[in-house]
Amino acid sequence: MTFSDDTIIIMTGGLVATGCALLGVFLVLRRQALLGDAVSHAVLPGIVVVFLLTGSRAPLPVIIGAAAFALLCVLAIDAIRGTGLVKSDAAIGLVFPALFALGVLGIDRYAADIHLDLDSTIYGEIAFAPFRTVEIGDALVARSVLIAGIVALVDLVLVAALWRRLKVTTFDPTFARTIGASPDWTSRVLLLAVSVTAVTAFDAVGAILVVTLLIVPAAAAYLLTDRLIGMIVIAVGIGWVAAIGGHAAAIEADASIAGSMGLVAAVCFAVALLLAPRHGLVARRLALTRRRRAAARA
Amino acid sequence: MTPAADVPAIEIDHLTVTYRDRPVLWDVDVHMPRGALGAIVGPNGSGKSTLLRAALGLVPTDSGRIAILGEPSTKARARVAYVPQREAVDWDFPITVREVVEMGRYREVGWFRRMRRHDREVVDEALERVGMGPFARRQIGQLSGGQRQRVFIARALAQRAELLVLDEPFAGVDVRTEHAVLELLRTLRDDEGRSIVIVHHDLETVERSFDWALLLNVRPIATGRPEEVLTPENLRRAYGAEPVGERAAAAGSWAG
Amino acid sequence: MGWLIDLLPLSHAAAVVAVGSMVLGAAAGLLGALAVLQGRSLVGDAVSHSALPGVAVAFLVTGAKDPATLLVGAAIAGVIGAIAMVGIERTQRMRPDVAIGVVLSSFFSLGVVLLTHIASTGGAEQAGLDSYLFGQAAGMVEGDVELMTWLAVGAALGLALGYRALKTSIFDREFAGSLGLPVRLLDIAVTALLVVAVVIGLQTVGAILMVAMLIVPAVVARQLTDRLSRLLPLAAATGAAVGVVGALLSIERAVPTGPVIVLVGVAAALVVLMLAPGRGIVWRAIRLARARRRERIGGVLIDLETAMHHGPPPTPEELALATARPARDVRRGLRALERAGLLARDGGRVMLNARGAAHAHQALEGRRLWSAWLEHGWRLRLPDAREPDPRDLRASIGDEAVAELAAMAAMAAMARDDGGA
Repeated sequence: MTFSDDTIIIMTGGLVATGCALLGVFLVLRRQALLGDAVSHAVLPGIVVVFLLTGSRAPLPVIIGAAAFALLCVLAIDAIRGTGLVKSDAAIGLVFPALFALGVLGIDRYAADIHLDLDSTIYGEIAFAPFRTVEIGDALVARSVLIAGIVALVDLVLVAALWRRLKVTTFDPTFARTIGASPDWTSRVLLLAVSVTAVTAFDAVGAILVVTLLIVPAAAAYLLTDRLIGMIVIAVGIGWVAAIGGHAAAIEADASIAGSMGLVAAVCFAVALLLAPRHGLVARRLALTRRRRAAARA
Repeated sequence: MTPAADVPAIEIDHLTVTYRDRPVLWDVDVHMPRGALGAIVGPNGSGKSTLLRAALGLVPTDSGRIAILGEPSTKARARVAYVPQREAVDWDFPITVREVVEMGRYREVGWFRRMRRHDREVVDEALERVGMGPFARRQIGQLSGGQRQRVFIARALAQRAELLVLDEPFAGVDVRTEHAVLELLRTLRDDEGRSIVIVHHDLETVERSFDWALLLNVRPIATGRPEEVLTPENLRRAYGAEPVGERAAAAGSWAG
Repeated sequence: MGWLIDLLPLSHAAAVVAVGSMVLGAAAGLLGALAVLQGRSLVGDAVSHSALPGVAVAFLVTGAKDPATLLVGAAIAGVIGAIAMVGIERTQRMRPDVAIGVVLSSFFSLGVVLLTHIASTGGAEQAGLDSYLFGQAAGMVEGDVELMTWLAVGAALGLALGYRALKTSIFDREFAGSLGLPVRLLDIAVTALLVVAVVIGLQTVGAILMVAMLIVPAVVARQLTDRLSRLLPLAAATGAAVGVVGALLSIERAVPTGPVIVLVGVAAALVVLMLAPGRGIVWRAIRLARARRRERIGGVLIDLETAMHHGPPPTPEELALATARPARDVRRGLRALERAGLLARDGGRVMLNARGAAHAHQALEGRRLWSAWLEHGWRLRLPDAREPDPRDLRASIGDEAVAELAAMAAMAAMARDDGGA
């Protein structure tokens, strides 16, 4: 069974979006959206270092390197915040640019060797996805689809396995500590998963789209529903809408596919922001007017 | 324009404020007389802080007419000194004790002119009255809870306002500071004829030291002299169950 | 700024980059400081990512590629991004961090789409537009530096004008509202300062790394001063220094300027966090170690005094056993006492000499005083808001109060004795 190039691109995008949505919902709920952003940037030096050390860009070593730098990023932010001298947001804004700067310098120095140019880390090269294939048995499978699929599966398994822990540590961290579920540990695992998802998606969709797919669909879902499972389903749904719509739009506009996918996700969010039945801006304004009228009548 | 002596300090009619579709204050009437030391009491979530904020025009209201010292709240701003709860203050902000109290002069001095000698004297006097004179150059975060509260009260004093509005001024404050501040407030009422209203949680102190009380739980339950307001009947209606304490022991009744 | 550029002992191009980085560092440091103090520094990240589509749209609309035009586009986009963030937060459901993240990634996606669209449709004209992504100091010319300087000066003047209002609103938002200050407008003003800072720095450092330039100087300055009026100029100076040092380093090593400046800045911040007098981690560790030592010595001193009253001078091991202290702590304390000239040894046994006994009495007196404070202190009238320090009551509440306290304690003791008799 062979798929068209378009289908492969869409599937890659959709699978990346699925993995991101599963994690992103919890990032948004835990007010750690920007930590997810930071971690996604922090993986860049990991990619460079791994290549310099091992000379390969094979998935497994790169994942380990990225995860290592993601962990470094999180620990550094915690340490700086822990001094009590720097606020959380400032700690984030110090660490990830420093790590990213290291990555940029590394690429600049060894660009020729790595075959990694800076632009592709941002834009990704999803257009090339259909052409990178892997042999599985008799079939040629697009590598990006394979990896994105595996990562999405791993994310799903992780979320399912940690479901109760995630719920408790997200909604009541203090209580969670008293029953032995450490919010910090859960956060670290979550962010490690984010880093792995980010680095595997780098190749295909670049850094920014990963961040977009982590935050934007989940944020839109948060406006549309009050139930956790609902949030996840809607976020995944929006992710696929972004993948399909973005691909179509990119062809129309002759622009970056990854960027278009992000843009479609953003449009979905804008629609949700305005029109969500209870939390949307229009609904809130109507409710306010209704209340004022009722109070005036009384 | 000084209002007539019988104009109330705070006059609120039919105030309703909602938050997330639920009324926090519902058809609330308040008439606090001038020259009194008044308290607003009630259980958590009863809308006490919101009442203060609404009176000062800081939160949007669904309905209601508000008059402070005879004028609409936006006009009366110059004659009111507000000491908000200390939750939202950034204690690490690079600001000294003196600078905080100086903020009390900003309305007079404006946002661009230099402080005049008169303003500096007012600030010094305010600092002395609360006992924070020796601490004028400390950064605000280096003080204890009680000392910080004194600084904010000094700021209110520096405003030279006729009406003082304080939201939970004794939360997290040591006993010594509480007594000192209460004494100061009584002096302001007696010697300077000022009106003072505070949101407070200690019913004993209210009954002992205050002239006027409002018992509130989304709707006003009772207003007037504390002994008339804080009856077991009213407290039961406000708190659901009467708080256990000396009064309960004296009345021979149990909580619940 | 031309005079400064000509003054430096570098090639013209290098001097331009150095001076430009200095202006950038100073401006970003000064204009970003308020946002950092507010805890909203990552709004600067969103603004700088929002600038990208602004640059693209400016090019599409005007066809021009000069920095002035493009930066106008960046500014407008930054403002729109800021408004979007406010709008998102208005739902009450979206927290500030999500609002920042959504605007950041959405606008950036838009920017990427536009830039790639331009790249595919346009010819050579669009080359260099994406230098706003990672920064490209090498292309800086004197005209750019002049533009940056004027922008920086203008924004700084605006800051000076609104200084009082901004200070009040950032420190105590509710109180500022009660004074009639338009707090929402002032928030927007702080964001506007961020937009200007981003516009100034975008060319050099790029959209992604810009946020560090906004944060580093304020973090450094905060460790060095407790007053806002000193913090702001210090932040500007720090930013300038970091900019220049980073630029010079990058020129010497022939590597991209933006990342080097950021790394220099973050390194400087880490150093200051460690070593800042009073606040720094190293200082705190030293103070903590000193306090622990004091406690240990004080404890051993009193224990030894007590032991001596109850029997023959003990050996260190006996002392440790009797007082349930770890033997190592006891020995350390004894050594310190010896160094201070308070200890006398006799064979394996230890005892306090005359001076040591005097010190011990003083320490015991301190403890008795604290007990007296707990019992009678509430009756004491202190002249101001001073608060007692258990370790040194005399220094914290003054001699007069201590005398009063001692008198009260004596009277209470007499009353007790009479009662018991």
